[in-house]
Amino acid sequence: MQHVAVPHAQPQQRQFNPYSENGGTILAIAGANFSVIAGDTRQSEGYSIQTRYAPKVFRLTDKAVLATNGFAADGNMFVKKVRQRLEWYRHAHAKDMPLRAIARLIQTMLYARRFFPYYVYNILGGIEEDGSGAVYSFDPVGSYEREACRAAGAASSLVQPFLDNQIYFKNQTPAPGTTHPAHLPLSHVLSLVIDSFTSATERHIEVGDGLEIYVVLAKGSALQGLDAIQGLSELTTTDDGERMFVIRRNLKRD
Amino acid sequence: MFLTRSEYDRGVNTFSPEGRLFQVEYAMEAIKLGSTTVGIRTPNGVVLAVEKRVHSPLLESSSIEKIMEIDVHLGCAMSGLTADARTMIDHARVTAQNHSFTYDEKIKVESVAQAVCDLALRFGESVHDEEAMMSRPFGVALLIAGIDELGPQLYHTDPSGTSIKYDAKAIGSGSEAAQSELQDKWHKQMTLQEAQILTLRVLKQVMEEKLDQHNVQVAQVTAEKGFEILDETSLKSVIELM
Amino acid sequence: MSIMDQNGGSVIAMVGKDCVAIASDLRLGNQALGVSSNFQKIFPVTDRIYLGLPGLATDVTTLKERFRFRVNMYTIKEEREIEPETFAHLVSSTLYEHRFGPYFCEPVMAGLSKTPSGGYKPFIAATDLIGCLNFAKDFVVAGTASEKLFGVAEGLWEPDLEPEDLFETISQTLMNAVDRDAYSGWGCVVHVLTKDKVITRTLKGRMD
Repeated sequence: MQHVAVPHAQPQQRQFNPYSENGGTILAIAGANFSVIAGDTRQSEGYSIQTRYAPKVFRLTDKAVLATNGFAADGNMFVKKVRQRLEWYRHAHAKDMPLRAIARLIQTMLYARRFFPYYVYNILGGIEEDGSGAVYSFDPVGSYEREACRAAGAASSLVQPFLDNQIYFKNQTPAPGTTHPAHLPLSHVLSLVIDSFTSATERHIEVGDGLEIYVVLAKGSALQGLDAIQGLSELTTTDDGERMFVIRRNLKRD
Repeated sequence: MFLTRSEYDRGVNTFSPEGRLFQVEYAMEAIKLGSTTVGIRTPNGVVLAVEKRVHSPLLESSSIEKIMEIDVHLGCAMSGLTADARTMIDHARVTAQNHSFTYDEKIKVESVAQAVCDLALRFGESVHDEEAMMSRPFGVALLIAGIDELGPQLYHTDPSGTSIKYDAKAIGSGSEAAQSELQDKWHKQMTLQEAQILTLRVLKQVMEEKLDQHNVQVAQVTAEKGFEILDETSLKSVIELM
Repeated sequence: MSIMDQNGGSVIAMVGKDCVAIASDLRLGNQALGVSSNFQKIFPVTDRIYLGLPGLATDVTTLKERFRFRVNMYTIKEEREIEPETFAHLVSSTLYEHRFGPYFCEPVMAGLSKTPSGGYKPFIAATDLIGCLNFAKDFVVAGTASEKLFGVAEGLWEPDLEPEDLFETISQTLMNAVDRDAYSGWGCVVHVLTKDKVITRTLKGRMD
């Protein structure tokens, strides 16, 4: 057989895709004096599981927790950059950054990359200056909003309508002479979070393996039954400030 | 005399063998030529007052601006080369606006004072072969008044890039007499009105002309209304109370 | 844009204790434009079988007629009513006949099947657009809000619900799911099948 050298007359195109999608789901719910921020720990690419334990929820300060979901590399780098900015702020202004300031900072950091975005959905949870529980949710380019609850990531479309129903009481009419509560008790919120993730694990292949639930309690508030929860460990560093806990649980691995 | 001082008082970034930066020291001298400026901190707010030297009857006294707003919760009074203060206040304003844009909160008084001092030390700085942006130190001192989460505060900044917190401070030509008067009369629980009257009394002592609503300017920062310059009517009523 | 999402709409069916429920939204749209708020997607097949057909509206209508024809032929030839399991296979084979040029519908069925002892057993099933059968024991969903329906149903459903509780569960599941779906909504209809009656209720929902 004769091989003939073909001259490369045709133009060739090559492409590099800087993004991938690593699955998983995150969720946060604000109470009157606490905030709960949760995420599963499975990290996948396509149909392959890269690891069964890759945290998506990160403690930022004594009273702020950030959950990231989407492209894991971007998420981790973003958290690193936020932490760097928080330290600079501490040095410049001699105090920890308040939650709403962190929220605004995240917006400006995300929008600064408007034309090469961090491929990440962020949910920020924690305690506001007035002691109330708060949740802020962001899109990848920094549009943000304070809410009572938010789900994001692979199973967000499964979890969010469930939360609409159970947290906001959507499509439910209160009994005559009564109103729906604006905030739910901590034990109830934790049950909803666990139910949400077991449901998402059941029906979504990218969700499962492990669950990390961060709980931030406002200054001086009671444990509200938190001590009875299995898999709880405390992360609090100060005596007189907010208290922070993490609950680690297993989810189905199939 | 000239020879002992010279050579080292030329370069803005050259120490003398005794460890002094003459240009900075000369800049401090420029402030002592400026009109007297007084600031007093009270539990309810901070009061700033300046003397406006009206050296000609043809001069429109309202065009002399020696107290300026930095942000809604921050004000500033100056003494020395007031033209230099414009650069500094511009910088302070941009810093304050940048802060609230990035953090959705009011900047702290200390942080603004620090930002102004950072700028004050940038003289003689140059990048690569380029000319330095500022060729000499600023010839002006500022009294920065404001309210933040730590309450009412008063800061003094000078050309050496030092910022110091004060309960009451006088700068400018009459500052020595004014400062000792402040030390006598200031007390912790002053009301805002007492502070207004005290600033004017101090100014009156060191002013050559007779004090009236045209040759002084008073401003205050309170939690309720933020920074405000007192208009002629309210200034007049304070003068009457003196 | 998938042709399955052209007109929008969603259906869900659930099993309860000696009862089944099937429910759908009432929207018909042309992409983002809403056209009708009274477009029925669920049809009675017999007294004990209901069929939901979410998908391309033209195929909804065609398939409804096609199944009516085939069920009538079955009834005449066999001289008895078709059983839900049999009907499910009829649906499956009808769709698979068009394996390479399918109807763009994903049928959902709910029914009560006769047991040898003379009682009734709840039955639900769903297929994809080429007739692959899914006999679930709890609930089945289809349509543009299917992901949302899965999420809410997985959270709200529990075994052995009485008819009124099953009605509440399926209604809440559907309403909250379609409220998060731009292509479904504009009101809902719910059917609960018990051994002696069928309860049909139309629900008011958000109209946005």
